[in-house]
Parts: sequence; structure tokens; C-alpha cells
Amino acid sequence: MTTAAITAPSKPGAPSKTRARRQAVLWGWLFLVPLVVLFTAFSLWPIVASWAYAFFDWDGVGPPEVFVGLDNFREALNSSSFWNAFWNSFLFSLGALFIELPAALCLAMLLNNVLLRGRNIYRLAIFLPVVSTTAVIGLVIAVLLAPVGGVVNEVLLGIGLVDRPVNFLGDPNVALPTLVVVDIWKGFGITLIYWLAALQTVPKDLYEAAKLDGAGARQQLANITIPVIMPIAVVVLLLTFQRSLNTFDLVQAVTGGGPIFSTDVLPTYIYRYAFDASIAAPRYGFACAVGVIFGVFTLIITLLQGPLLAGRLKRTAA
Amino acid sequence: MTTTRGSSRGFSRRSVLLGAGAVMATAGCNLVGGGDDDPTDAGSASGGEGGGLSGEITVALVPDPPGASEFYRAQFDLFQEANPGVTVNIIENPSDQQLNALELMFQQGEGPDVMRVQGAAALTRFYDRGWVAPLDDLVNDDFTARFPEGSLEPTSSGLHREGKLVSIPLVWGDWGYTHLWLYNTDILAENGYDAPPETWSEMVEMATTITENGGGSVFGVAPVSVPYFIEVAQPFAQKPGINLTTGEPDLANPNVVASVEVWRQLQADGVNMPGWESWDGGRPFTEFAAGRLAMYPSATWHVAEIRKLAPDIGLGIASMPLPDSGRVAYAARSAAHQPIWSMSAESANPELALAAMDFLGSVDFYKAYYEEFGSFTASQVAWEDQAQENEDQAGILAVAATDIRTAPNPELLAQGAEAFWADAGGNADLDVKNAYLESIVSNVDYEPLAAAIDTQVEALIVQYEAENADLRSQLTFADWDPLEDYTA
Repeated sequence: MTTAAITAPSKPGAPSKTRARRQAVLWGWLFLVPLVVLFTAFSLWPIVASWAYAFFDWDGVGPPEVFVGLDNFREALNSSSFWNAFWNSFLFSLGALFIELPAALCLAMLLNNVLLRGRNIYRLAIFLPVVSTTAVIGLVIAVLLAPVGGVVNEVLLGIGLVDRPVNFLGDPNVALPTLVVVDIWKGFGITLIYWLAALQTVPKDLYEAAKLDGAGARQQLANITIPVIMPIAVVVLLLTFQRSLNTFDLVQAVTGGGPIFSTDVLPTYIYRYAFDASIAAPRYGFACAVGVIFGVFTLIITLLQGPLLAGRLKRTAA
Repeated sequence: MTTTRGSSRGFSRRSVLLGAGAVMATAGCNLVGGGDDDPTDAGSASGGEGGGLSGEITVALVPDPPGASEFYRAQFDLFQEANPGVTVNIIENPSDQQLNALELMFQQGEGPDVMRVQGAAALTRFYDRGWVAPLDDLVNDDFTARFPEGSLEPTSSGLHREGKLVSIPLVWGDWGYTHLWLYNTDILAENGYDAPPETWSEMVEMATTITENGGGSVFGVAPVSVPYFIEVAQPFAQKPGINLTTGEPDLANPNVVASVEVWRQLQADGVNMPGWESWDGGRPFTEFAAGRLAMYPSATWHVAEIRKLAPDIGLGIASMPLPDSGRVAYAARSAAHQPIWSMSAESANPELALAAMDFLGSVDFYKAYYEEFGSFTASQVAWEDQAQENEDQAGILAVAATDIRTAPNPELLAQGAEAFWADAGGNADLDVKNAYLESIVSNVDYEPLAAAIDTQVEALIVQYEAENADLRSQLTFADWDPLEDYTA
């Protein structure tokens, strides 16, 4: 009787739990469906399709029919203009990694200081370029930097720093560094936010304990701040690297890759072959091949950073 | 993609005439895909009262220039009023998406009845795929009289494929071939000049003086549209850069080298307006209208844009300055017209579509377009008198009358070189404009840069000769004098 009293209620309960679990799983999958469909349609399919199109001589109109094997890849890899664009893209990344990242970290530490008055206003001001339309920024930058009537040149001439206007966007030797600086300025806010988020994960009691032990600011930075934020730093580095490597809108809006391709980056290179109306016959197949090569290189460079950073993490943890 | 449906408006004398014209044009024709005796055989078209048209068609077009959406809707409303029972639906695509949109529509079996094909390359492609209907039934004395005499010859019109008329133009055939030397009369006068430069030496001297006197705020010239400047020295120094009198790549021709050298020297001397290297297409006329740039080689459409920005500016229009030794060539007219409108071969209502094509090629339509946008349209009779009364437009016409000559076009002559011509012309790596720019901006010799492109073009010729041994002769017109019009 006792046994029956114990077991009886459990019998109808088991199937009910299973059904509830099944329903939960079902609902889970149901909610996933829109994501899966959208991801497949707008991410997975374009990636797979671009791999397929890369093997065709295709102008983007009609089905790809002329199979050319690896010819598009060979042409790209043997093209000096491809490597010029690749190198320029890489320079944008170097600028982001070696200038933007450390500078944003320094500023983030400053803005993370609770004693700093008005720090939220500074954060907002620095973040504003991130949410501004790149086309508008491009237009404003072009006006500001114009050799004739541009504010920047007027100031430089006025204070006697230069004796003739600097052709910031028209001189092939100056245009790329100028754009790298503008790109760093535009992306600085987002990197700053990353760093601020990372810094706020550092427990305050660690600093208090360090102070009690007599650690100075430099020691706290080296032995507390850096080690604690390092896992997030890996992510920040990868995100910044990816963003800067794919710079397109700024270059397209300001110089279009010119003058004489001195600011051409791989995204503008791809765009030119795929969509530029001034080219009579768009080469979607070739553009896809360049995109695939670019993607593979990006992946390799990213993967290379992984073990290096992992090693750094291990050393830090030890 | 934007779609608008037909709307109705009141009748006008013009619309009645249009309707009558459309009916006449279709009634007497052996229409594409339609029966002579029973118009109801042609898809959804049905004979209305008195043999009029009825049914529905779709027109796929580009809302360009600004204001074109309203213009086209109003025009097709007139067409509808003239043809009660007819509905014209308009599909609008952005310019850079029009061809892909058409492609998809045809692939899905929903091609428009009438479409803008946007030029020769797409027309050829669509024709090869069997999507474009012949329009020869439109051609009669009345139709031919709308266009300049002799401009509808199949080997030179640009509207024909395999001898069949397959397209109708929109703008004047010479609109794109007319290249102007624009100058600011006030700036020239302030510097002691009462006329534009006629030779390269005069141009260099005037530009240098103006820049020197400008104090960093006014400049003599800017090397935009360098190919326009060069075409008086060599008519074939553009893609694919083949000298059509010899059949040889000729971008490194001494005349071209000399003309690039003019601009390179101006750049090295600091005479050119700084910053031009990164200008977009609208910047030259903006700087000119602002009074900072005194002279530059220009396309025709800049004139209207300058007037919009600075209505009272002292705008002078002249021919390109010539080499000191005299003219070597003219702007090369490679086709009489640019193909814009075509009719679908798959139209379910070919009678109505053909009537719409006739409407788009009518003098009234061309006149309305000219009056709305100020562009010279394909039918010169629609605007010529009016244009002569406008100082700017008269200036453009004067330059066009003296500075253009018809050149052979291997693609239109259809002697076998078409595939090579299209391939070479569409290859961005063979675009000599980059060599011009590099020479001028980086202050390096143009000749080796051009010679490198010549080598690539030659390699392409050799590659095509493997399948077409006669290619070289098909690219050679030894009897043609570049100072005279080419006649097939």
C-alpha cells in the first residue's frame, strides 16, 4: 500500500516530464528556424556560392557556364594590383593593431578612473564617430583636408608648420596614411568600449590588496590589470583586426581607391571588378575568387594569432 | 524596384495625335509575333473600337536623371489617354541594378515588354539570348525622318544587330562624343586673356599665369578627363588602344606621349589645381562653378550642372586646344546612336509594346525630354531650333559640328572581330587612363607604362588569332584617314 502510494503518482509523472522536455526542445528548434533560415540564406549560401562562382568566368548575368578551373585564382595571385590592395588592407590592420589598440587601452584606463569628472561625456564624444555615417564622414574629411580652402591646411599654413598645402588625399604617398589615421579615429570608440568593458571585469579588491602590499600604479598594471583582461584582450584584438582588414566604406567614400590605386584595399578591389559600372563587363567570377583568397588569408592570419595568444595566456596564468 | 501603375488624365491635342500615330504605326505593320488580321491573337492585346489598342504592358526603366520618375509616368499617361483601354505599368530599377533585374525577370518568365538596355554591351548580350525583338516594322519614311540623315545604317547606327533594328536611342548620338574645353571668361579677362587657348602652348602659358596670379585660391587647369584632351592627337588612344589604320596596339604613340607630357609638366610645376587626383565626377564642375578653376576638358553634361550652381558665371565653351603642329585627329564617333530602349521578344502584347516603342521614338517624346532635362535627344528636329537660341547649348552644338569624325567600329562592322573588341574593351587592366594618371601624378614617363599595356593588348590579339586568323586584318582600316569620316 505504501509502495503503491509512493510509486503510483510517479507513473503518470514520467511521461509528462518527457513530453514537457520534448516540447521544450521542439520549441527551441522552432525558435531557431528563423535564424537557421536567415543564416543559410544570407551567410552560408553566399559563402558556398562564391566558392563555386570563383571557378567560372562569369559576368554576373545568367547562370555561370564557362568553367575556368583555377584560372581566376592564378590571375589574382599573379596580379600586382591584387597584392597592392592586399598590402594596403594589411596596413590598415597594422595601424589598428599597433596604434589604435594600445592608444584605446590607455585612454580606456583614463576614462575608467572614477575620479575623472565628466568621463561619460568624453566616452560619448569618442564614440560618436562610430555611429556616424561613413559617407558623411568621408565627405566632411574630404572638405576638411582639401588643399584649396580646407581647414586643416589653412591651420597648418597659418601656424607655419608647412609652406605649401599638403595634398592629403591626392598625393599617393600621403593618401594611405591619411586614410589609416581617419579609420583609426572612426573605429577608436568601439575599441575603447571593448577595453572599458574589459577593465570593468577586474575585481576592485585586487587593487585594494595590491595597495596594501605596497604595489605602485605600474605594478598594478603589469601584475593585475593586464593579466586579468588578457582573455578579453584576445577577443578585442581579433575583432579589431577583422574590422580593420575589411575597411571598405571609408576608402570608397573618400578616395575610391585612388589616386592611382594608392589607397586601394581588397574590398574596393573586389567591388571594382564585381560592381563598378564603368567597367563594361563585370567579372563576378574573378571577384569571387579574390574574395575567397582574401577570406582564406584572413582565416590563416587569424588562426596564427590564436596559438600565439593562447601561449601568452598560458604564460600569464602561470 | 519600384512599380507604378497607369493613371488617367485629360485629353490634349498632342495626346490625340500620339494615339493616332500609335494606331497608324501598328495598323499598317506586320507586327512582331502578332497576326495581321486578328489583333486578338497577340497575347492579351485586343482590338478596341475602331481598331485601337488595348491591354497592359510593363516598361522597365531607370529613374535617371532626377525627376525622371515623374516625367516617364506623365508621358505614359499621355500614351494611355491616346489609347483608351491601355495600361502601362512602370518598373523602376536603380541604374546599377537595371541589367541584373532584367536578367532575373527574363529568367523567371516575367520579362518586361519594353526595357532600357543601357547601352551596346547589354543589348548585344540580350540579343544573343533571344530576348530582344526586331523593330524593323517600325521603320518607314516617317520614322527615318525623325533621326539625322543616314544615322540608321545597320553598320554604323549602333541600334542594329545582324542587320536588324533592335533598339531605339534616347539622347543625341553625338552627346557623348562631344568634348568641350570649358573656361571662365571672367578669370581669363582678369589675367589679360580675351579668348580660350587654341594650342597646347597657349594653354600651358595661360594656365601657368592664372595659377601664379591666383595666389593659391584660383588655378589655371586640372587634368580631369585627360582622354578628351588626347583625342585631338590620336583618335584611338582609348580602350583597347588599337590604331585602326595599322591594326597594332598604339598607346605609346609619340603624339599621345607628348600630350600626356603636357599635363605631367603642369603637375610637376604646380600649375594644376591640387587635390584633383581624388576628385569624384562632380567635383570639376563644382570647383569651376565656385570660381576656383579657370579651365578644364569636360563632358557636355557639365555645362547644365555649372549653370545650376552658378547661373551668372562667365562660362565659355570651346574646342580642345590642339597640338602646336596642328590637329592629328578628331573625337571618334564609333556609332551614330547609343541603344537605350528595346522591346521584349517574349512580350505577350507585341502590338502594344511596339506602339510604346514608337511612342518612345516619337518627336513629341524627344521634345518633352529635352524640355524637361535639357539633354539633346536623338531626334535633332525636336530641339535644334530651340537649342540655337540658348547660348550654352549653341556652344555645344558648334563644338560638335567641328570636332567629331566617324571612325570604324569593328564591333558593328561584324566582320569577325566583335568578340575580341568586346573582351579587350571590357578589360579593366587594359585601361590606359591609369597610365595617364600614374605618369601625371607620380611624375614618371608615360611611354613605358603605355608600352606595357600595348604588349598586353598584342598578347590578347595573338590569343584570339589562334581561333580567328583574320583578326588583324579585321582590325585594320588602312584606307581610313582619321581626319575624315569613315564610310563603310
